Amino acid sequence: MSSREALIEFRHVDKSFNKPEHGEYQVVGDLNITVRENEFLVLFGPGQCGKSTILNMVAGFEMPTAGEVLCQGKPVLAPGPERGMVFQNTALFPWLTVMGNVEYGPKVQGVKKEERRKRAQRYIDLVGLQGFENSYPVKLSGGMQQRVGIARAYCNEPLVMLLDEPFGHLDAQTRYMMQDELTRIWQAEKRTVIFVTNNIEEAVYLADRILVLRNCPTGVKAEYDIDLPRPRNYTDPEFLRLRREIDRVVDHTL
Amino acid sequence: MLATGITKGRRVAYGIFGIFVFMCIWYLATKYTSLGSVMPDPVTVFSGFFAAFVTPIGTKTMALHILISLRRMLIPYAIGALSGVLIGVLMGWYRFADAIFMPYIQMLRPIPPIAWIPLSIIWFGFDEGSKYFLIFLACFFTIALTTYNGVHSVDETLIRAAKMLGAKDYQLFTTIVLPTTVPYIFSGLQVALGSAWATIVAAEMIRSSEGVGWLIVRGQDVGNMTQIMIGIVAIAITGLLITTIMRGVEAKLCAWAERGK
Repeated sequence: MSSREALIEFRHVDKSFNKPEHGEYQVVGDLNITVRENEFLVLFGPGQCGKSTILNMVAGFEMPTAGEVLCQGKPVLAPGPERGMVFQNTALFPWLTVMGNVEYGPKVQGVKKEERRKRAQRYIDLVGLQGFENSYPVKLSGGMQQRVGIARAYCNEPLVMLLDEPFGHLDAQTRYMMQDELTRIWQAEKRTVIFVTNNIEEAVYLADRILVLRNCPTGVKAEYDIDLPRPRNYTDPEFLRLRREIDRVVDHTL
Repeated sequence: MLATGITKGRRVAYGIFGIFVFMCIWYLATKYTSLGSVMPDPVTVFSGFFAAFVTPIGTKTMALHILISLRRMLIPYAIGALSGVLIGVLMGWYRFADAIFMPYIQMLRPIPPIAWIPLSIIWFGFDEGSKYFLIFLACFFTIALTTYNGVHSVDETLIRAAKMLGAKDYQLFTTIVLPTTVPYIFSGLQVALGSAWATIVAAEMIRSSEGVGWLIVRGQDVGNMTQIMIGIVAIAITGLLITTIMRGVEAKLCAWAERGK
């Protein structure tokens, strides 16, 4: 792998929190990850093992206690539009319409109305929400809300998309549908993606590469390249074999 | 709304029925019990109320009494609303402003406006100034505190989302903090409007020669029970009208907070 390809790098990253009830609590220990350009990377691990913390450090919401997180070789010091996040609880702005949410990023950055509307419309169409531009988020189903979240993050045209268990709150049917949708969107509009999940099936279905994380303090326990052609099939023998193999290395004790 | 499962038409019908029953009991009680000697019956009160739109009480007709009192209320209400929102936002956003203003607000808020009458006369005279001051006090604290609570209720994840999308600090304020606060400001405005209107009687106890509060004060001075009741009816009906209008405005402006039906 050439260094030009490395978009996001974690170098010996530690992260601790000071919680009044636990005292010093280490969540991430000596984490080293390299995320390549345009790859779909899935961080897979059990329960509360610090997966979200890893994403929050890429996003710039939280700073490492030790080590550094680099984006295009430069240390991440604050949130920025080149790193787009899709939140588990959607974090849509309830007082804005679908259009208002999707165009928010370009708007606060001073993109002219006509241009940002055109751009927002493109991403609203991409996620299949045409006709709902003027709806408020409360009127939409969970799956549709998360499509808005994806379109909103995409509309800033970030270098990397960070998805924090975005389908965690959806029912099983909607979840399958959204996984298909995300694959389709990602293939139509290639971006580097870091996707966090605690669902093995979802990980194998979506990923180019899976990093299996160990329990707290978390680090990379195993790594798998998934070469299956897309769209993938949950019952394909190779799919099932990978699923079983990964399941064996996962720490099931919580 | 808590009163779900009942249509708007039904709601109004129940309301009217309730008023009708109340009027009947009031009428019968004044006709057939000793209550009649201390209270006029509803027919006298309401016919007096409507007659006052044509025949002046004092120097003014009813419409003018109501309009004069509304003006007296709305000017200090607007000042109280603006300054309340401003101070509430300052206290919510800046810790130092919180530390400076909050003790005063907590100390002054429990003092009823009526307690300020003597001082307000000395400070602002017998004319409109002292009346404005009382009504200002009746709404300022409520609006300041609800605004403050609104600013504090901002969802941290939304702030993160906005930062991630490239919002600068002042944009976080205008695009996230203010919209979150708007419903709180409106509920404060709503409550404060009620208190401001309720304070009109106290305000018009300070020398006045017109207004719905004056009707009551004057009625007491001359022992005219019917005029007192007419004043009360005028305050009640006007109060119902203005809070209903306010609720309509709120529903329009905070449509996004409405749950999907």
